[in-house]
Amino acid sequence: MEELIEILEDIQPDIDYENCEDLIDGHHLDSLSILSLVAELEDAFDITIPAIEIIPANFNSAKSMMKMIERLQEEG
Amino acid sequence: MFFLSAVSDGKLTSLTSFFSLEFFIVFLPVCLIGYAVTPAKWKKYFLLVISYVFYWLISGKLLLYLAGITGAVYGFSLWIDRIQQKQKAALKDLKKEEKKQAKQVYIKKQRRVILFAVIADIGLLLVLKYSAFFLGNINALLAFAKLSFRFSIPDFLMPLGISFFTLQALSYVVDVYHGLTKADRNFLRLALFIGFFPQIVEGPICRYNQTAEKLWSVKQIEYKNLTLGLQRFLYGMMKKMVIADRMDPFVESVFSKYDTYQGGIIALAAVCYTAQLYADFSGSMDAVIGIAQVFGVEMPENFERPFFSRTISEFWQRWHITLGAWFRDYIFYPVTTADKMKKLTSSARKKIGNHYGPLLAGSVALFCVWICNGLWHGSAWNYIFFGMYHFVLILIGSLISPLVKKTNQKLHINSDSLPYRLFQTVRTVFLVIIGELFFRAEGLRNGFAMCRAIVTDLKFDSFDRDLLLRSQLGYKDFVLTAAVIGIVFVVSLINEKGIRIRETIAKKNIVVRWAFWYALIMFIIIFGAYGIGYAPVDPLYAQF
Repeated sequence: MEELIEILEDIQPDIDYENCEDLIDGHHLDSLSILSLVAELEDAFDITIPAIEIIPANFNSAKSMMKMIERLQEEG
Repeated sequence: MFFLSAVSDGKLTSLTSFFSLEFFIVFLPVCLIGYAVTPAKWKKYFLLVISYVFYWLISGKLLLYLAGITGAVYGFSLWIDRIQQKQKAALKDLKKEEKKQAKQVYIKKQRRVILFAVIADIGLLLVLKYSAFFLGNINALLAFAKLSFRFSIPDFLMPLGISFFTLQALSYVVDVYHGLTKADRNFLRLALFIGFFPQIVEGPICRYNQTAEKLWSVKQIEYKNLTLGLQRFLYGMMKKMVIADRMDPFVESVFSKYDTYQGGIIALAAVCYTAQLYADFSGSMDAVIGIAQVFGVEMPENFERPFFSRTISEFWQRWHITLGAWFRDYIFYPVTTADKMKKLTSSARKKIGNHYGPLLAGSVALFCVWICNGLWHGSAWNYIFFGMYHFVLILIGSLISPLVKKTNQKLHINSDSLPYRLFQTVRTVFLVIIGELFFRAEGLRNGFAMCRAIVTDLKFDSFDRDLLLRSQLGYKDFVLTAAVIGIVFVVSLINEKGIRIRETIAKKNIVVRWAFWYALIMFIIIFGAYGIGYAPVDPLYAQF
């Protein structure tokens, strides 16, 4: 989780990632930030994030992102 | 126009408009009564039959295209499903690393099927909609090169709504491939999802998970759904008949003979066309969503008060939402998440920062989206220009946004203040109107000539002669239209604040409720643009 928060803060600082639950729906992260995020998460966690995973439910909070990362790691 | 050819091939041409007498006095009541008296377990089949009857009435033998595309995606989805089943069985007992390798083999197989599906689905659309345009341009190049050879230009009949149901059908197969939905073994359920009659002409473009199951489990009509649905239909009718159709003679006259009008009148026509297009398309969407609601089916919204947008990018998240979402999910993200693009984003971010780094890959994907968006609307250069115009505007918006942010901070400008938001909204509407001028112009050259006239000849002194005599509209038409646009604006403003007007009225006592809706009906009857002097106007988006 710490690594994920670090990546997020590097891409878009000044957001309370621990508590924010509407990163996408609340327009805190725009589509360009998502593109950066996808590339960085893939490198950091050795996963592949397909286009279908880029939905608000997966990116609205750090927790939901972590869930997606763990699921993708599990699926291999 | 292909659209007119297709319609003339049908039997009851006026049915294409939800607000024609043939539709809402004859077809819709027959349909609702038939549906109501059909036993519960047969209602879904009734909806399917009536949907195909509707399409046959408006398109005749071109119904075969709809059935053909449905059959094709049904077959392709089952083919993918079979591969997925085999994959599941084969991967069951493998270790993680072996699984990864074996999975790739099956993914390759599925991708091959998707490729066939895209070729069959989009290929048909390309041939029918674009072959004349492409061959015409090739012939022009041949003439330019002084070669005598020419391709003969085909003249296909264009099935009504093909651009809508093609995308909807393709999204279903792709979703099956992605595992977002299971392949449907019930051909009739799939046929109803693709062919449901209110949405077949102008959308919205639905996803299988959004409506297929709801349509297949329809029940008896409920009083609440009936009243709310018909009220929504009525509101759409007001937009279409009082605003859109009333503006049509003026817009048509100016755009077809722009060189005989002053720049000021052309500018007014561009504003009126933007209002007409919005009233026409969003009015039709009100009708679609309203009719679906009567059957108890919730359709996705296609408009969310687009003229309140602060940027062009936001405008396109509020205008024709389902088309934008289709391009986002099936073009933008697949392009930006391609391996090479992700590497580009990653390395560019380290060199040129968090904002401009991802913009490189993002702009490639945006270009693909907007070229497709332009071409989707029609096979002509002005539509391609329309797409590229919005691509450039969105790109410029992204490029300058860090600079704007810094400047605002330095000058202590509050970007959330009302004057600033108002400035952004007015600027966005202005840019949208210019785009719509090119969209409506009869050719790209005419679009530029009209813009030139607006800049060099912005006069209104021929207003009386030009406008009132030639387009046969009076001052009262303009005052009335402006008043109804005002009503739509106020309703939108209330909706923007999260208040749902229909639900609010539904809570009032019966006298207030019925007085309100009777007043609206009378308003449409008295002020609607129909009868002598008004030719029925086909839904504008049906031709795309």
